[in-house]
Amino acid sequence: MDELIYTLKQQIIEALNLEDMTPEDIDENASLFGEGLGLDSIDALELIVLMEKNYGIKLKDPSQGKEIFKSVAVMADYIQKNRTK
Amino acid sequence: MEPILITGTGVVSAIGLNKAETLEALLSGKSGVGQLRYLKTEHKEFPVGEVKLTDAEMRERLGIPQDAVTTRTALMGMLALGEALEEAQLTKDMLSKVGFISGTTVGGMDMSEQFYLDYIHNEAHKEYIKVHDCGSCSEMTANHFGKFAFTTTLSTACSSAANAIILGANMIRCGEADIVVVGGSECITKFHLNGFNSLMILDTEPCRPFDATRHGLNLGEGAAYIVLESAESAKRRGVTAQALLSGYGNACDAFHQTASSPDGEGAYRAMSEALQLAGLQPSDIDYINAHGTGTPNNDASESQAMIRLFGENVPPVSSTKPFTGHTTSASGSIEAVFCILALQNGFLPVNLNWSQAMEDGILPVSQPTKKELKHVLCNAFGFGGNDSSLLISKVPELVEGPTKNDGASTGSATCYILSAKQISLQQPLTEAWMQEPIEYDVPFTRSIDPSFKEYVSPIEARRMGKILKRALATSKEALKEAGLDTVDAIITGTGYGCIENTEFFLDALSNDGEQMLKPTYFMQSTHNTISSLVAIQTKNHGYNVTYAHKSISFDSALQDAWWQFKLGKINTALVGGHDEMTETFYHILKKGGVMGHDDEMCGESAVSIVISHKPLHQVVEPVETPLQNESALRQAHGPQILCKLTGFQMLHQPTTDTMQDSLARMLQNAGKSLADVDYILTGISGDHGNDEAYLKETKLLFGGKPLLKYKHLFGESFTSSGIGLYVAAQCLKAGRVPAALFVDPKEVNDKQPKCILLYNRTDGKNVSLTLLEA
Repeated sequence: MDELIYTLKQQIIEALNLEDMTPEDIDENASLFGEGLGLDSIDALELIVLMEKNYGIKLKDPSQGKEIFKSVAVMADYIQKNRTK
Repeated sequence: MEPILITGTGVVSAIGLNKAETLEALLSGKSGVGQLRYLKTEHKEFPVGEVKLTDAEMRERLGIPQDAVTTRTALMGMLALGEALEEAQLTKDMLSKVGFISGTTVGGMDMSEQFYLDYIHNEAHKEYIKVHDCGSCSEMTANHFGKFAFTTTLSTACSSAANAIILGANMIRCGEADIVVVGGSECITKFHLNGFNSLMILDTEPCRPFDATRHGLNLGEGAAYIVLESAESAKRRGVTAQALLSGYGNACDAFHQTASSPDGEGAYRAMSEALQLAGLQPSDIDYINAHGTGTPNNDASESQAMIRLFGENVPPVSSTKPFTGHTTSASGSIEAVFCILALQNGFLPVNLNWSQAMEDGILPVSQPTKKELKHVLCNAFGFGGNDSSLLISKVPELVEGPTKNDGASTGSATCYILSAKQISLQQPLTEAWMQEPIEYDVPFTRSIDPSFKEYVSPIEARRMGKILKRALATSKEALKEAGLDTVDAIITGTGYGCIENTEFFLDALSNDGEQMLKPTYFMQSTHNTISSLVAIQTKNHGYNVTYAHKSISFDSALQDAWWQFKLGKINTALVGGHDEMTETFYHILKKGGVMGHDDEMCGESAVSIVISHKPLHQVVEPVETPLQNESALRQAHGPQILCKLTGFQMLHQPTTDTMQDSLARMLQNAGKSLADVDYILTGISGDHGNDEAYLKETKLLFGGKPLLKYKHLFGESFTSSGIGLYVAAQCLKAGRVPAALFVDPKEVNDKQPKCILLYNRTDGKNVSLTLLEA
């Protein structure tokens, strides 16, 4: 799980172009949107692409992201349970 | 305002190839949305509203050879424009006095997305490279019918055509033309079908605007043009009006690049402004043709805006997008034609597919209804919050028709350049630069960028291409130097727009296929991202548009401001010219013969200028002499003023005679003669073939005036005429002209410049004249 979390952080940094950040800068339990990293709706869409590309998970509705993208830890948990690749 | 007559209309969409077919479909409730048939894409799951003709069938109808270089956007545009011109009884020989303003965002992308890899790797299909951009599509459409006096292109995403209508109205109201044909055209492309898909706003079912179960939009395509005409001209020509344009509004939501604000601020302001301009009350409105795309976000936001404006008495509303799909850039004019048909035939277009009320939403017209209509609103909103609303009215019976002059055309447009900031190959023009500018001799050079961290936070900057960072940096700097927090209008010109992200998206589409594309690239690829981003970052809800018409994009933006100054509609404007280049696109454009000729040094440019019409602290008064104006403004801004802008004129394919007439008129209006002009600043670029003709023409027009140049130092970009303005303004402010700017070294002198005339000329087709005075 720790490995998945670390990889996921790297993938998030790349997908969202968080230029100056390293995986260590992201708290896996902190909220990704709003207060935490301050991401927005376009980032949510990028995370959906990320999940499909890397883990074969296809979300039909962007509103599903609200729960899944609460934090890196929650996202990793969802990926572990639903991944097809 | 005095209403403007609509004396001709033409429309092509999924529900018809002309007005008669369109009316029949609207009355019978027959949708044109169905399974995808013409576009080559793997996304067959999305219903679309396609125009039911292949490109070849359109060429045949139009009598165009099958091997001619055309784009689907231009072909649809020609079908609609033909109908509009015929209705208005405008023949070929009359077009030399008629303006043409079109809106599109896609331009020639239908061809670029098919041939992109060829453009990069081989010589095949390279003849299509020159029709990639929006401006080329407009000119192709116009040129099919003859030689229009003037042409430009608005690109504000899905409100493009509505903004073309607004510009045309301003043009007539300030006496620049009697007749202007306005509207827009847009075909469906793989590029934006995939782009909208990456934003997850496409519905796999027929769209259901304002329905509780709405789940996105269906893409559509089409074109519509409207002939706007002054009452005097229509009377003279003996043509009758189909309807009147009695008001219009443009405002920026300034909220998000791809989402509308929860309270619909931009939409509310645009509709309010349209009512105010028409002198009407909300209760006078009989019907609203909503933007109503069917996305959860748009319909919620637009509902709020309507409820805010109309309270409990929201007039009948419908979205006609279930008929046609969302025709994006063309929707503003297509739906304006639907409104005209509704006014003429007394009915409310039905909002198809609606069955269930949404929470806090409006209840749309769910049954075809006969109703006499007098005044209707037509909304068109675009990405970045470029929101516009048109107020169209029935022609009153037993009224001789409005003939008296608006009164608006009498104002002077003379204005003051408060500040100008640029990013290009050159550092800002400091005293040291004036002595010794930096010289480059490589054919494609990138701009010298400042550190953007000062202007944008890293979290915001990470999604911005260089064009956006530069636009933001120059805009913020220019506003700061002008001592202003905000302006009345943000007007941007860009020839090719956000090339970097367009290239990323095209790369992915061509190499990886139509799955898992990045929404970031798509949302950054539209031209109006630039202007709307500046509005979002400066929280500006004022007038906001973007021009994308080849090398006169910046000039078009300046002209828009100039006309609005003349009308007294705005007092301050931030006018920008922004273009970026990538290695790949440079090689493509060079291959296509668009740029990179001979010794032409191609660069990039970002220029932002702040212009003020009247002193900022002074209330606009009806009678005011330019002199009082100026002294008060100089008092308010002291040494900040760079120079005065006292004349501006744009022409399309002018003859030497028309050029001379326009020049004489412009100088006369400014109270000047050619003898007062110290220098002519030319845009010669190192493209020998063009430069030779350019210089010949310049000498013919301006006799022995000393000629200046700037593109050999700053590089050629689609909006480098903005850099020209910057250079001339700096020279007037500094009171000298650097030796490096003289075309002929023998003419170098120390004479203090008092008056510089900018003469931009692109391939002899588009010309602009700008008169600047110290």
